[in-house]
Amino acid sequence: MKLVGKHINKDHSGYVSIRPEDDEDMWHLYNLIQEGDNVRAPAIRRVQNVSATGSSESHRVRTTLTLTVSRVEFSPSTAPTGAEASSSSTTPLEPTASLQVTGRVAAENSHVKLGAFHTLDIEANRDVRIEKLEWDSIALERIEEASIPGRGAEVGAIVCGEGTAAFCLLSQHMTVVRQRIAVPVPRKRTGSATAHERGLSRFYDTLYQTFLRHIPYSSPSLRAIVIASPGWVRDAVFDHIMAEATRTGNRALLGARPKFVRVHINSPHVHSLVEVLKSPEIVSQLKETKFAREGIMLDKFFKMLGSDEQRAWYGPDHVSLAVDRGAVGTLLISDELFRASDPQLRKRYVTLVEDVREKRGEVLIFSSMHESGQQLNQITGIAAILNFPLDVEVVEAEEREAKEEAEKKLQESAEGA
Amino acid sequence: MGQQELDISGLNLESKSGPTVADELPKVSLAREKLLEEARRALESEEGGRKSASLVIIGHVDAGKSTLIGRLLYELGRVDEKTKIANERASDKIGKGSFSWAWELDGTTEERERGITMDVALQALETPNRRITILDAPGHRDFIPNMISGATQADCALLVVDSSTGEFEAGFERGGQTREHLILVRSLGVSQVVVAVNKLDQVDWSRDRYEDVCEQLKAFLVQSGFHPSRTSFVPVGAMAGVNLLDRSGSDVLALRAWYSGPTLVNLLDTLQPPTRDIDAPLRFPIFNVFKGSASATGVSGRICGGIVQVGERLRILPGDETAVVKSIESESEAEPLPWAAAGSNVTLYLIAVDPIHLSIGSVLCSPSNLIPLASVFTARIIVFDIEVPILAGTSVELFHQSRNVPASISKLTAILDRASGGVTKNNPRVLTKGASAEVQITIRPVAFSGPASRAQPIPIEPFASNKDMGRILIRRGGETISAGIVLTVVS
Ligand SMILES: Nc1nc2c(ncn2[C@@H]2O[C@H](COP(=O)(O)OP(=O)(O)OP(=O)(O)O)[C@@H](O)[C@H]2O)c(=O)[nH]1
Ligand SMILES: [Mg+2]
Repeated sequence: MKLVGKHINKDHSGYVSIRPEDDEDMWHLYNLIQEGDNVRAPAIRRVQNVSATGSSESHRVRTTLTLTVSRVEFSPSTAPTGAEASSSSTTPLEPTASLQVTGRVAAENSHVKLGAFHTLDIEANRDVRIEKLEWDSIALERIEEASIPGRGAEVGAIVCGEGTAAFCLLSQHMTVVRQRIAVPVPRKRTGSATAHERGLSRFYDTLYQTFLRHIPYSSPSLRAIVIASPGWVRDAVFDHIMAEATRTGNRALLGARPKFVRVHINSPHVHSLVEVLKSPEIVSQLKETKFAREGIMLDKFFKMLGSDEQRAWYGPDHVSLAVDRGAVGTLLISDELFRASDPQLRKRYVTLVEDVREKRGEVLIFSSMHESGQQLNQITGIAAILNFPLDVEVVEAEEREAKEEAEKKLQESAEGA
Repeated sequence: MGQQELDISGLNLESKSGPTVADELPKVSLAREKLLEEARRALESEEGGRKSASLVIIGHVDAGKSTLIGRLLYELGRVDEKTKIANERASDKIGKGSFSWAWELDGTTEERERGITMDVALQALETPNRRITILDAPGHRDFIPNMISGATQADCALLVVDSSTGEFEAGFERGGQTREHLILVRSLGVSQVVVAVNKLDQVDWSRDRYEDVCEQLKAFLVQSGFHPSRTSFVPVGAMAGVNLLDRSGSDVLALRAWYSGPTLVNLLDTLQPPTRDIDAPLRFPIFNVFKGSASATGVSGRICGGIVQVGERLRILPGDETAVVKSIESESEAEPLPWAAAGSNVTLYLIAVDPIHLSIGSVLCSPSNLIPLASVFTARIIVFDIEVPILAGTSVELFHQSRNVPASISKLTAILDRASGGVTKNNPRVLTKGASAEVQITIRPVAFSGPASRAQPIPIEPFASNKDMGRILIRRGGETISAGIVLTVVS
């Protein structure tokens, strides 16, 4: 994403202009644009012309519109099927995510009246200007992170079982499932395994073709290509890919051989990507990346819940209490919470993050577009690993007492008056 | 750890056992009545002759399950001399000679090369009084999903343990599959188990070792909810065929010196056949799909309720498609069957359907009585020996018949008293090991398909309507963390 322009006033109001380039940028915009913001972007509008004779004709015009946002919708890669999504192995893939911003027109132009409804389809490589009454620290941080150049998919992953495979691309903020395949592989039967073996070889062939189309294996930004599976499917898949590359003289693919990493996972479902990210093979390669860190800390949180329950808290109310007491060592919070349509609610989470940072705690803002973020979302979207044990029930009791005390005082002073 | 946590009897499955069928068929045709009558008569007369039962072979990897079955098939004359010699030659050639008996079951190239069973093998054998369908399960932990899909089709289990020094211990310790398999089959409704203590040749047929292994297992079996009267033990040497059919041969004098009990075949000959609920609505969960002869597609599996006959049109769920039964075959019968009833493991050859609509995990029903589809349901579960507790929202894999799907435990409704089933705590914060609880389970939508996406519902029904179709298993990170029964379908 390119930062084209930025102007923030002392009172935190202001605008930012950016140029989205890939799927991840669409995701950033989805997280940046909130209800009530003004968004200016290129638009296509159908206009009606009534000619002098009274007949009307309609045509589409390209224009630029400014909307006051009432709704934002994001849909990730609409997994393309078959031939339509071919791309060369070296160029970055075309964005497949879509972002729609709906609202009333806030600045009149020659084609559209003020207050008319419109839905903008945000397009890659066209500038978008976002104007907010308040740019908070979380939003500014996202702008900063997103505009570091040279990003893109960092890891390609094929999560597979016998007959099924999902082709994923992982970048800092999102996992995109580019394609899924399911080839029926009959089970072995008494006295005959030929149908099984024929099914398997059809599976490997389909997998190889899909791999070529959906994993940009020789793109320099792609650091690793993970083949993950239970059992030994990953070995068979790797051998097949390399054999085909050799047979067809695919130099680029043969050259990418060192990027391949084979990882054992417990189930062939895409959610096993969390296991991939905490496997030693991947941790050693990617430990400094944001998404790998998220996976590791979520795992740590769950483990702590089992071994040292008083240091693993979750849920907005409980975590707030722990933050108040300066106990939070690591805050795990999902980007979903910041998309709250109620600005007060968002503010509450922003303050929480700022408080933890002030006390030198670590804050990890999980992306809902990674499996780790989805798992965090399932357990309220917020969790904390505490520096020292605290008993939830004791803290709650203390809070209640303090509140009663305060109420009593208030009452007394009221009566005294 | 307290093994009591693993006690599946805490689910009180037995006390709940009145066969209640949710929906009655709207109108029963005469043909169906006649069919039921005939089936009842045939099943009764079976009482006189050979009764049928199905048996899943379970146990830790390399315990000798496939070797035992391969050898048993040979002893019973189901594998001829020519095949035996061919297996010996071919396995020897790739340096896997010790697996020659297992080759009869381990049919794929990869299984043979690795010397590991990867998927369930289906076989049939006969003892004097029984006709037994064999499901030889893989022991390797990565293939537990396959083992589960085999175990859902069995009435009884044959547990094979390796008695050699250190090996029994490896399979029996925490995380070993001797334990996990037993818990799994018990949770799936299997209550009879025969334990074959194998590889006794490795410990010089030591009586002490045999008894020690039996003692350790007995305690665990009881704690896992198996009744002592329905468990039996037998010392064997699978490879050499010792004490399978008999104890002849000079090399087993050592065993004969202290053992005069039943052989394995003696024990298999007294397996209790399943109770067959043939009046229930038809449920046929698909275990395997393959191309049959001509235009027919073969689907195999176990009938979990009801009865099916040639010519019937069946509905495939999920989906809107139907298919017609062209013929019915069984591994244990030489001739095709006109009909088959609950409790039978059969292959249906289907026509008038595009094979793409038939997949493993789908359920075939009579069009007039469909199994519900659910993406959210409530369940009563028992939590096994876990280290990381279960929270509301915990991501898991849900196993039901031959299907497994990502799901989440979306709500912790109550912790229940294990004995009485009464509520001891509402809305608990976590579930820890040993807990019995009522929860809500939600099938997760396909990953990363956007905020508003909905999950694909799966065919499942309350335990009260159909026991087999109402049992679930819950796994996480390659471990079975819980088992339970479906209470109600929410949506
Ligand atoms: N000494 C000895 N070895 C045996 C005996 N039975 C089996 N084995 C050996 O144990 C090894 C494993 O045998 P399998 O039959 O493949 O074991 P399994 O339990 O089917 O293994 P999985 O299906 O992969 O879990 C083989 O090398 C067999 O030769 C026995 O009675 N004595
Ligand atoms: Mg085996």
